[in-house]
Order: sequence, then structure tokens, then C-alpha cells
Amino acid sequence: MSIPTFRQVTKENLSVNNPVLVQVLGICSTLAVTNKVVNTLIMTVGVSLVTAFASFTLSWIRNLIARRVRMIFQVLAITFYVVLFQLILNAFAPEVARSLGPYVGLIITNCIVMGRTETFAPANRPLISWWDGFTSGIGYMAVLVLLSLIREPLAFGTIADFPIFPPQYVSDGYNWTIAIMAPSAFFLVAIIMWVFKTNGLKKEEALKASKSASAIGGAA
Amino acid sequence: MSYVDPITLLFASIFTSNIILANFLGTCSFIAISKDLGSSNGLGIAVIVVLVLSSAISWPILHYILIPWNMIYLDLFAYIIVVAAVVQALEMIIERVSPALYMSLGIYLPLIVANCAILGVVLFMEIRNYDYVQALIFGLGSGIGWWLAIILAAAMRKKIDKSNVPAGLKGPGITLITMGLMAMAFVGFSGILRVQ
Amino acid sequence: MFPLSTLAAQALLIGGVSVLMAVMISVIDSIVNNYGDVQLDINGKKQVTVKGGSKLLGTLADQGIFLPSACGGRGSCGACKCQVKSDVGPHLPTEVPYLTQQELRENVRLACQVKVKADIGIQIPEELFNIKKLSCTVESMTNLTYDIKEVRLKLPEGSDLTYTAGQYGQIEVPAYGGIREPSARAYSFASAPQEKDTLEFLIRLVPGGTVTTYVHKFLKVGDKINVVAPVGDFRVHDTQAAMICVGGGSGMAPFRSIFRDMEARGVLGERDIWYFFGGHSVKDLYFMDWLKELAAKYERFHFIPAVSEPGPGEVWEGKPARLIDVLAERFKTEIPRELAKEGYLCGSPGMLDASMEIMRKNGMTDDKIYFDKFA
Repeated sequence: MSIPTFRQVTKENLSVNNPVLVQVLGICSTLAVTNKVVNTLIMTVGVSLVTAFASFTLSWIRNLIARRVRMIFQVLAITFYVVLFQLILNAFAPEVARSLGPYVGLIITNCIVMGRTETFAPANRPLISWWDGFTSGIGYMAVLVLLSLIREPLAFGTIADFPIFPPQYVSDGYNWTIAIMAPSAFFLVAIIMWVFKTNGLKKEEALKASKSASAIGGAA
Repeated sequence: MSYVDPITLLFASIFTSNIILANFLGTCSFIAISKDLGSSNGLGIAVIVVLVLSSAISWPILHYILIPWNMIYLDLFAYIIVVAAVVQALEMIIERVSPALYMSLGIYLPLIVANCAILGVVLFMEIRNYDYVQALIFGLGSGIGWWLAIILAAAMRKKIDKSNVPAGLKGPGITLITMGLMAMAFVGFSGILRVQ
Repeated sequence: MFPLSTLAAQALLIGGVSVLMAVMISVIDSIVNNYGDVQLDINGKKQVTVKGGSKLLGTLADQGIFLPSACGGRGSCGACKCQVKSDVGPHLPTEVPYLTQQELRENVRLACQVKVKADIGIQIPEELFNIKKLSCTVESMTNLTYDIKEVRLKLPEGSDLTYTAGQYGQIEVPAYGGIREPSARAYSFASAPQEKDTLEFLIRLVPGGTVTTYVHKFLKVGDKINVVAPVGDFRVHDTQAAMICVGGGSGMAPFRSIFRDMEARGVLGERDIWYFFGGHSVKDLYFMDWLKELAAKYERFHFIPAVSEPGPGEVWEGKPARLIDVLAERFKTEIPRELAKEGYLCGSPGMLDASMEIMRKNGMTDDKIYFDKFA
């Protein structure tokens, strides 16, 4: 394997390979809370940190344990960081913790966490694994926060609980009930993905070409 | 919360608070597998089995170990380890004992060992304080709800595949829109019964 | 929250339960899931003995071969595709949704779903298992022009590197001067694959370039340097079509490798080749004697040099012209239109695009134009 650099990893995770848009992975644990910006931010920060530290840990012990047992270690490490995050949240933001309900715990089964710790971490060094996990989480965050920035104003007339529409928007029933509910999340992810993919289709072609040829001799 | 009778709970978990369409749990494997009806059916049935099984295992763990020993905050550890281990063991046993059963059920098990739906159902069970019967019914209903959603989606995708979808929306994109429409339809059930 | 001792007891309990579960899995695993040792054949080139019973993805990972996978082997992403040569049973329903009709026909499988139970042969992209990091020693450094150096590296003992002419390697240089991080850049091999123990690169000094500056200013004979290789899929396609090759400046590197490889295999004279090479002035040209010799020796090998602006006092026999103008002109004058042709390009993006444009105008299609673009 060629050794990935920090910059390559960043680029991969933030654009070319954005985990949500390209692979539609890991949305399960967060989609349900995207009707509030604050909840979304906290959840995605959680995912980023858990992925980062779990990757770091798994990478650190990658040469010490056999693969069959590693599966158990992997789950234990991820769970450890999720529980830690949950405890911190309970202590410092009990309100948010309550409104997130079981979803914080569901970070454990987030495909992104699983994927990064299963495939990137065992093949790479701890620090770059940490960075890979973290940037994967940031790419994930970007999409879901965008989603919540659309859903919350439409649903409650607020952004991060700060009113942007007059109170009549909700009290007189001008708000979009559908934006509160589940279907809107599906539609919005699809639309964001559509825009992203259409934009990327051309670039992808070019990328494919340059990938197959890649860089030689020239610039340094 | 008032006591919900099992029949209501069963219908609520299948329709109004469908595990995937209302709570988004288990989307990862849903989007890819729903491309094929046969695979969808198999995976759906496996989810039903595992959900019932994990509810059946987790409830005693919660009520006979975690609560008496005052270690609820370690619930995630307990559930994930025990459920994952049992499902993994089940897969290996089925494979050796019955190849036919393995092909129709066993091969799906690893896909859902760490599926969000499994952990989600168990956590909902804990938060909503279900008794044992309720927990089992909730597991069963959620499983059926997931199975129903995926075979419906798979059936629709068969048609969608033949229609002219914009390039950027092909595959996961149009599936998500299908799921959105299904979610809207399922929201309609909430007029019949309202249970959280 | 709790007394520390309770906490310790509970941590111990969780640890105990985990160990118990791990033991349970291991026991069941060794009883029902024991398939003994099996032979794993990768690309027909590497054979290893592995313990059966695990999924192919994990078995490969144990061998240090990491197929791409986004979901971590749970059958949710479909990234870990690999072609299986031996019979491992029909496609599973968990694989079918991810595979195209063609992939189904070619027995492409998802490595995370296929269990290794008996001897198995697989085909994976060469670079996934062949790429190695080699600690090389600088054997010689020669100035070809005022800004291009030929660097020969001695491969470590027993490294057994195999590559095809046209591929490249990534040269890693350590942190130096004001550059705080090690960096790596890709350079085409100029050596023939038949030379087993050395690698050759043509490296042009790029003003401000991290790696080229290091190579030109700091690297000495005897130094150790890491090369990650082989990478890339630029190569000669095995057809009878005429090869139209364009590579000016240090873009000669892959062609030097390709021509030397073809000559070593005794096939250089067997197809028509036009090689267009050039620079700004006469002092940019190098290896002229070698190329002229090839042209003299092989009737079907045509070497066309170009110089756009001969410097003061330089002698240039031909008319000064840019490489791409010479290419366009030769298409009109000497390359038969009806001849089946393949384009091979190596150089800067601007030169590549211009050359492709000319090739298209002369009836060549994009799928027959192969290139190696400088980044």
C-alpha cells in the first residue's frame, strides 16, 4: 500500500469520498435528530471524536492482537469512547442528552466508525488514523449540519433555537410540519446528494483519467 | 407513561413508529440490499429473528444484572457484547448444522450483528421501560416493520430501475426519495393509533 | 458518582463478561468453524497458507493486503470486490445487489461475504499486493542536461520488484531545510523491468519543488532513499497498432523504459513507432545518440526531435518548431491516415491536452490514447 499523507486523507474524506454522500453510510444514528441544529452538531462532534479516538486506539494496538479477538476489542474500544462521550454529555448538557435519547448510544453502530476502525486503522499509524477518523467525522458533520440548517428553520422557525422567523410562524401554523417529521430528512439527503453527485460526475470523469495516469516526473 | 397493551404496541411498532421510516435505524444495509427483492426478503427475516432474540436476551440483562447492580451506565457495553457474541455464535452454528438454513438466514446475520436497528430497539426498550412481554412484542413488531419496509422498497425499485432517473439521483438518491414517500405514507397510520 | 472500588469491580465485571464471550466465540469457532489450513493463491503469483474459516476480506488483511472497504466488512458498501478464480459456491444474496451483470459473470465476489473454506485462487488489482516500500541506495547520479538528472537506485537485497514499463514509483524524501514533513512524489521508471536490481529515474529540477530540490541539491551517491513502487497503469497495450508517442523533457522517462523493455523482449522492430521528443533549446535535449541509434537500427522506429527556440550559438539542423506543431505536421506528411494508431503521452497537462486535440483531429479516439499526466 502506498502510504497516505495527511493532506490526501483530508481531501479524500472531505470531498472525493465524503462518507455520507458517496457511500450513504452512517446516517442511521444521526438522521433522526437533524431537525435541531444543536442536537445535530453535538451528535456529529460525538461521531467525529469517537471515530478519531477509536481509530487511534485500534491502530495503536494493531500489531499486538490477533484478528479474531480484534473484533471484540474494536467493539469494546468504540463502546468505551461512546460511553465516555455519553457521560460527559450527561454531566455538562443534561438537556441535550435527554433530547438525544438513545441516539448517542447508537454511535457505536455507526457504519463510519465501524468502517474506519476496521479498514483504515489496522493498516496505518495511530496519528494518521486519528486524523482519518476525525476528518471522516467532519465530512459527515458538514452534510448533516447543512440538513439541520434547512430543517430547523422550516420546522420551528429557529436556527440553533435562535428565532429567525416571527413567533407567528409557528403559533399560526405556517411552519412545515413535514420538516419536523422523518420524510423530510430522506428527501433532503437525497437532494443534497443529487446536487453533490451531479456536480461531481464531471469531476469524477476527470479524476478517473488523472488517477489512471497519476503524477510522474513533473511538479514537485 | 401509561401501559400499552401488546396488540397496540405490535401495530405501533410496525406502522406508526416504524423502526426505519420513522427512526431511521438500519439504513446502511437497507439502501444497498433493497436493490434485490430476494435478498431483501432474506435480510428482513433475519432482522426479525435477531430483533426478537436480542430483546429476549437484553431484557433479563437489564433487569437482573444492570439495575440491581446499579450499573445502568454500562448498558451499552452489556448489550453490544452479548448480542454480538450470541448472533455470531448463532451464525457459526447454523452454518454447520443446516446449510439450507444458512443460505436463507445465516448469511445475513453478520450484516446485522452491529446494525443500528438492533441496538436501537434494545435502547428504546430500556428507555420506555417495557416489561418482558412488551419487549418481545416490540422487538417482533420492529422486525416486521423493517422487513415490510425493505420488501416494499425492493418491489418499488424494480419499477424505478426501468424509469428514466436523472444521473445524479440514480441508485441511493432515488432510493432515499422512495423511502421518504414511504415514510409519508406510514405517517398516515398515526391517525389510527398514537403510541410513542 | 460511585466509590472507586465499585467502579473497579464493575469494570472488572465488564472485562470478565467480554473475556467470557471471547472465549465462547473462540470455542465455538474452533469446533464448528474449523476448516484447517488452506492454500490462498493471489493473482497466480503469490501462494500463502492460511487458516480457513474466516471471511476472505479478513484473511487477506491478515496477510497485510487491505482491499478497500468502507463499512468494515458488513456487506453494506460493496467496495471490497475481488475476482475469485476457484469455485466457492454460487453468489450469495448478500452479494448480488452490489454486482453488475458482468461482474456476476466474471465471478467477482464481495470479499467480506466469501468464507475461505478450501483452497482458493483470487485476482486482485496488482497494486494492492505488489506495492512495496523499498529502501534503496543511490548508485549513481548523472547530469543529463542542466536541469535533468538521471538517478540510479540500487534495490535492497532480495526485494524482487516486478513492474511493467510505464509504471512509476513514489520517491520519499525526509524533512530537510525549511520543509518540516517528509514528502513523496511520483516519478516514472526509466529503467527496463528486466534490470532486476536497479531503478532509474529522470528527475527535472522544478524551481521551488520540494522533492526535486532535495534530489538535485542534497542527494548524494550512497544515500538511502525510500521508494514506494510499483504504481500506475500506463503501459504499452499489446496490439499491432502504430504507437504515436509524445514525451518532451523529463517526460521521456516512461518511453525510455518502454523502448528498452521492447528491445529486450525483441519486439521493438515489430510495430510502427513514432516518438516525438523536444525541448526549448538544444541544451534541453538528451539521450539523442541512443534514440538516433534506435531509429537507424529499426526501420519502423521513427524518432522526431523538436526544438522551439534554439539558444544563441546553438546549431539546430531542422526548422525551430514546438513539439505539438511538429506532431500536427507529421500527421499530415508521414503518418498514414488509414493506419490503426494508439497514442501514448507523457508530460505536462497543457502539452497533453494539445497533443490529444491533434490526435482527435486526425481520427484517433480517446479510448486509444493513453497518457501519464504530470501533476
